[in-house]
Amino acid sequence: MSPSTDRADVLIIGAGASGSVAAKHFAEQGLSVVMLEQGDWVKQSDLPGDKPEYELLAYKDWHPNPNVRRSSSDYPITTSGTVEQIGMFNGVGGSTILYASCWCRAKPSDFRVRTLDGVADDWPLSYEELEPYYNLVEREYSVSGHPDNPAYPKGYRPPLPAHPINGPGRTLAEGMNKLGWHWWPGYNSIPSRKDGHLEQCVRAGVCMFGCPHGAKASADIAILPDALKHGARLVTQARVCEVPVDDRGRATGAVYIKDGKRVFQSASVVVLAANGIGTPRLLLMSASGRHPNGLGNSSGLVGKRYMTHPFGTSVGLYEDELGDFSGPAGELVESMQFYETDASRGFVRGSKWHVIPAGPRPLFYINRWANGEGTKDEPFWGEMFAPKMKSSINHLIEIMVMPDDLPEETNRVTLDSERTDSDGLPGVKVHYVSGENTRRLVDFNLERSLEAHKAAGAYKTWITSRNNPSWHNMGTAKMGHDRETSVVNGFGRSHDVPNLYVIDGSVFPTATGVNPTATICALARRTSEYIVKNARNQEISA
Amino acid sequence: MTAAPAPFQLNPEQRVRLAKLADCLISGGAGMPSASEAEVHGPWIERTVAARPDLGPVVLEAISLAGEPAAALETLKTEKRMTFEFFAFAVAGAYLINPRIRNLLGYPGPAPAKNPAFPDEAESYLEDGLLDPVINRGSIYRPTPRS
Repeated sequence: MSPSTDRADVLIIGAGASGSVAAKHFAEQGLSVVMLEQGDWVKQSDLPGDKPEYELLAYKDWHPNPNVRRSSSDYPITTSGTVEQIGMFNGVGGSTILYASCWCRAKPSDFRVRTLDGVADDWPLSYEELEPYYNLVEREYSVSGHPDNPAYPKGYRPPLPAHPINGPGRTLAEGMNKLGWHWWPGYNSIPSRKDGHLEQCVRAGVCMFGCPHGAKASADIAILPDALKHGARLVTQARVCEVPVDDRGRATGAVYIKDGKRVFQSASVVVLAANGIGTPRLLLMSASGRHPNGLGNSSGLVGKRYMTHPFGTSVGLYEDELGDFSGPAGELVESMQFYETDASRGFVRGSKWHVIPAGPRPLFYINRWANGEGTKDEPFWGEMFAPKMKSSINHLIEIMVMPDDLPEETNRVTLDSERTDSDGLPGVKVHYVSGENTRRLVDFNLERSLEAHKAAGAYKTWITSRNNPSWHNMGTAKMGHDRETSVVNGFGRSHDVPNLYVIDGSVFPTATGVNPTATICALARRTSEYIVKNARNQEISA
Repeated sequence: MTAAPAPFQLNPEQRVRLAKLADCLISGGAGMPSASEAEVHGPWIERTVAARPDLGPVVLEAISLAGEPAAALETLKTEKRMTFEFFAFAVAGAYLINPRIRNLLGYPGPAPAKNPAFPDEAESYLEDGLLDPVINRGSIYRPTPRS
């Protein structure tokens, strides 16, 4: 095994949303940073969104499910239970390459789930403690949004103005006003004007296929250039297989495979930013005599409590043309009307709704008609294909219901030695079953969403799907004060390995009912600052 | 060395068969042409398979099915659901990338078009006080409880 040349102050595993935020901060503070990323850079010109064949390409090589993409940087994921697909992107920028850029802060109640609702756990920090870091990363991610949303405490003022809500947003907003229900212009990590490294959004609406116009805040464009400019070193196609520890229990760095050879990168501090699947995978692969159940797993919780947001969708058809060919996609509008717990509904916790424009993706309309709950028994192929497509494209609004998801230890990520990646490392198995509370939550919100469509003037409404994979992977290295019931502390530091940190969605004690990227990035920024401020007292390997 | 896959090419008989199968899936209506009228069996299936080589074998398998087209597709749907789904996806994909079809559906161009917002466009959607009812109702969040 080849040794690395220099010992890094900080070694970050994963060059996605959180890894990039951390790398930038560390590098700007003068620390030596090495990042290891199993994938490679994405060429903007390779992204499909400006080509006529864009949807065809997107649903294979740019699909969020690594089992569909099957690139050399992916690893096999076998699912069981009620989750059929897992989403992520393994490359520089991580899942931000394909994310929709819906940017959503968690709310104060999300940090006090146990105290307020008597279930799951409280987070080891409050909204107020995380708020300064939300502000910092929203600047870095060029977040655009309308200020002073009454669904949040005062002071939430995104750095850039909101995008237009377009016809679909306007139409639904009018319906929500009739019902007296909350709605707000969407927040997106997509600049509404040229900002930093990013171009102004051109509203092509292909955000989830990667932005070919350099206008979406994917980490590779928005954040990493600054980290690299300040001296961070990024090694791509470097697949980490182990984080070794010394005989005092300190992490010594990481072993990675590149071009078929194992290389050791030494580091004083190791930071895992490999997402809610990749991080537990690496911790479990790093099992040793000292850590027989996986690195940092004295609690037994590494890989357990996997959470996702098994969202539902409903659609409404409208007589008028909606002007639905524009993005961002991204969210046009969102609603927090049913976010906070009302136990009289028969469940606790709640759901955020949002509208992502449907028009830019015509092929996906087929799924809504042919497989939608309300329409799958209607004729579609043959004589009805053209009339249904004509009546729905530019005439349809889709509401996505994103439910909070409660942790269960039986929902878990484990290693799969039978299906390996291109370097022979084990894939993963993900077992997940939606809990009763989550199912009731989704059902309730879908029914309310149909009412919203009708209030907005829809002449036909139906539920298109339930239990969709959200591509949000959370909970598998839970943060908490108690080392017996958590993997890392409130700053993401391993309870077992004092110079090992986790900064991705693995640390979430609960899922929240919102898109996780904002909170992941804020936590990463907070942990990075903590590491720098406490460098003098940081225990490291000799 | 592994040989490169043969380019996807259909002979005239295969194209005729594809046209009939495709028309079973997309027969037109509401001012839209059928799949064959939109030349799905011509250049558009080739563009589709060029973008998605994995669909080539699926298309060839469907074309090779014997019998009356509608019945053949129904059998495929019953006995090999995934193959049917992928074939239908390929035909729909070929149909929908035809710029004439996109134009009839209202799309501004053959590919997603740039349409940057005007400087005051966001405000224009809100200028009649659309947000006022939401703001006037006040806060709807549960604050951090005092411990």
